Amino acid sequence: MKTINYFLAASAFLAIATMTSCSDSDTIECHECHIAYDGPNGEIEVPILNSGEEDFCGDDLANAEAPGFSYAIEETIIGMDTIPAGTYTDIHCEEHADH
Amino acid sequence: MMNVFMLYSQTQGVVLDANKAPIDKVNVFLSDQKILLYSKEDGSFSIQKNIPSNSFIHFYKFGYSSKVVQYNVDEELNITLDELHVNLDEVGVAESFSELGNNKLINIDKKSLKNNFTSTASMLESISQLSGIDMISSGLGIEKVVVRGLSGMRVVTYLNGMKIENQQWAGDHGIGFTDLGIHEVELIKGSSALKYGGEAVGGLLYFKDNPFVESNQPSGFVASKFDNSHHLFGNQVGFKWSKNNFYFNAYGQYNIASDYRMPNNQYLFNSRFKNNSVKFSIANRTNKFQNIFRYQYNNEQTGIPAHSHDDPDEIELGDISLNEIDFAEDFKLIRPNQFVDNHLFVYENNYFIKSSKVSFHLGHFINNLKEYEKWTVAAFDMTLSNTQIKSNIRTQFNDFTLNVGAQLGKLTNENNIQSRLIPDAITNDLGVYSILDYEKEKIGLNSGLRLDHKKISSDEKDYDKLFSAISYSSGVYFTESNHILRLTYSGAFRSPHFSELFSDGVHHGTSRYEIGNTNLKLEKGHQFDFKYQWSNNHLGIVVNPFYQLITDFISINPTDSFAQNNYRVYNYDQFDKVEISGFELNLHYHPHQLHNLHFEQSYSFINTRNLDKNTALALTPSNKIKTSLKLHLTENNSLLTLNKISVYHVYSFSQNNIVEYETSSDAYQLINLEFDFKPAKRIDLVLGLNNLLNQEYTPHLSRIKEIGGGVPNPGRSFNINLKYEF
Repeated sequence: MKTINYFLAASAFLAIATMTSCSDSDTIECHECHIAYDGPNGEIEVPILNSGEEDFCGDDLANAEAPGFSYAIEETIIGMDTIPAGTYTDIHCEEHADH
Repeated sequence: MMNVFMLYSQTQGVVLDANKAPIDKVNVFLSDQKILLYSKEDGSFSIQKNIPSNSFIHFYKFGYSSKVVQYNVDEELNITLDELHVNLDEVGVAESFSELGNNKLINIDKKSLKNNFTSTASMLESISQLSGIDMISSGLGIEKVVVRGLSGMRVVTYLNGMKIENQQWAGDHGIGFTDLGIHEVELIKGSSALKYGGEAVGGLLYFKDNPFVESNQPSGFVASKFDNSHHLFGNQVGFKWSKNNFYFNAYGQYNIASDYRMPNNQYLFNSRFKNNSVKFSIANRTNKFQNIFRYQYNNEQTGIPAHSHDDPDEIELGDISLNEIDFAEDFKLIRPNQFVDNHLFVYENNYFIKSSKVSFHLGHFINNLKEYEKWTVAAFDMTLSNTQIKSNIRTQFNDFTLNVGAQLGKLTNENNIQSRLIPDAITNDLGVYSILDYEKEKIGLNSGLRLDHKKISSDEKDYDKLFSAISYSSGVYFTESNHILRLTYSGAFRSPHFSELFSDGVHHGTSRYEIGNTNLKLEKGHQFDFKYQWSNNHLGIVVNPFYQLITDFISINPTDSFAQNNYRVYNYDQFDKVEISGFELNLHYHPHQLHNLHFEQSYSFINTRNLDKNTALALTPSNKIKTSLKLHLTENNSLLTLNKISVYHVYSFSQNNIVEYETSSDAYQLINLEFDFKPAKRIDLVLGLNNLLNQEYTPHLSRIKEIGGGVPNPGRSFNINLKYEF
């Protein structure tokens, strides 16, 4: 009985050690970014892509989120709203509820 | 009747009922040593090495009156516990050992959290079942306690004697630890917590770890839970062992949860969280010395739900919710979110000499909080380090108990990035106190005084100021047959916190721009608290009216201005006078014909008044009636293994007592069910059903009440909890 208890205790701690040692992987994360345009009825998200026409990853993502980053777009229509052409600095890459 | 002998320097004794029959499984808690024993079938108990005279021993078992005795090495321990059908230990003036002081003379409530992980409620949900206690929350991820309408800096939290400084100034910063290895919480409502600091104008929570056990054979548990409101998966393990006066407890936990489901079957986006925690405690004792070392690590990764840069009035619930959960994606942490790392180190030394106990306590708590809105750059990254040295001498003479002590603390907050809401600052404080208790037969008196000096310095703000104040508390109780009366008066101060003095920036967790006020003065609280208790074998009543006057009340208030990306500006200010009054009523009923049925009900009524503006205070909790019905089934019940059925009902009145920038809240009622099974000797199974009526409700204190017309709390959900003890 005593042996079983030691075994159970050891197993329990191995289990928790395994669980707590799990960490997020170091793979490069990619995220969709958008211009947060202040429209008449609230924020309008204007999706943007990096120079390779892809989502922003790694250093690109860091640059897009750094102060001073700007992004130029042509006139864009999102739903019923028209976003004028121009260079915008209010860039967001966090996710919103979309499913 | 068995004889008890003092042999081989053992402490031993026997617990009997009024008919001299032995009582088994009585908790024999050596309070000063923090060691728990259980009485055997013959009512006897023993511990190998004698404990010093004058150590407190607390005897308790459900269904019996509890008793606290002081051990005398020359006397036999023959304890008699009376059968008790109405248990008022949590809320009444009961005989029990309290770390916070003499609970006959101070208003101390208690809540056992021993099996909280396998119950249907989270730790703070369990505590908020007490009268006068509420909770600020946004799902299970972020929860914090509100005591009689006050929270944040006004409600001080201690864990194993160490003050928890985890940036509790903001509503989005939780309590900083979980129920892992926690045995019980003691709670003082209002400003009577002299021994643990004058800062606790609103109240004080004192969490205690599970006691050590006297057993050469290791014991422990493995527990798992699933809660389908959050799709929460949680696991805990625990281990206890002792040998040759060496004691060891260790615990671990891992929780992961997705977004919670609202009553409309949508999910509140980003209410997900992860948590892992490990802790251990080591103790060693000799005849007169005891050393305890504890370490605890707690990591939380919490999403911040209902985040938007738009005006909260213009956000619709659909904008911040999901129609369904994608199991592959929606357990992953996204932005905005918080990363919290807490390390707690505690060393405690107790020395017993004749009629005195000398305690020394050294603690160090490190809290790192990072808030991310962007993926690659933290918006807030600050480390708080709190070091605390405490000593206390408890000495007894005749019917008097004197506690004299000192507390020294140093709190450092350091920003790890350029972007900052609060500057680097250092707070040094020194407090000395003296508390005298007198108890004789039917009467008790208590009086205490505490002097605190707190110095707050910030080079960045060129600020260096000393705050000094005297806190005091006195109480008297009188008991006659089944009646107990108690009156306490207390006064406490709170110096402004550096977040209230120096804030200047966007607080992403609350989506507001906060501006501190370096002209803030001391906030002072004065409270009268009266308690009347009556009980017989079947009915118990506790009535607890209170009145609190707070002068120079520090408050954060919205302005009409906006800064940086539409963040509304909030300023810290002080109101001259604020009144908080109300009463709590507890009823415990146990019908004579149904010995296994226990009915408990509490009424909490609170009224707040800002005398400067002739309005209420913001975030005044709604009045509530909380009812609990517990049916304990015998082992031979027809449902085989069903041990207990519990029904918990809360009725929350509407709250229209609001300030101009708040909205009122509707009344609501909640019903939660819990079924406790014992399918095998070592296995406990608990099935729970929360929010049975799938009520759509937003508590008045919800963090996200003003967004999207009020984000509802979770809808109907079930949970399964399993525990195996070895």
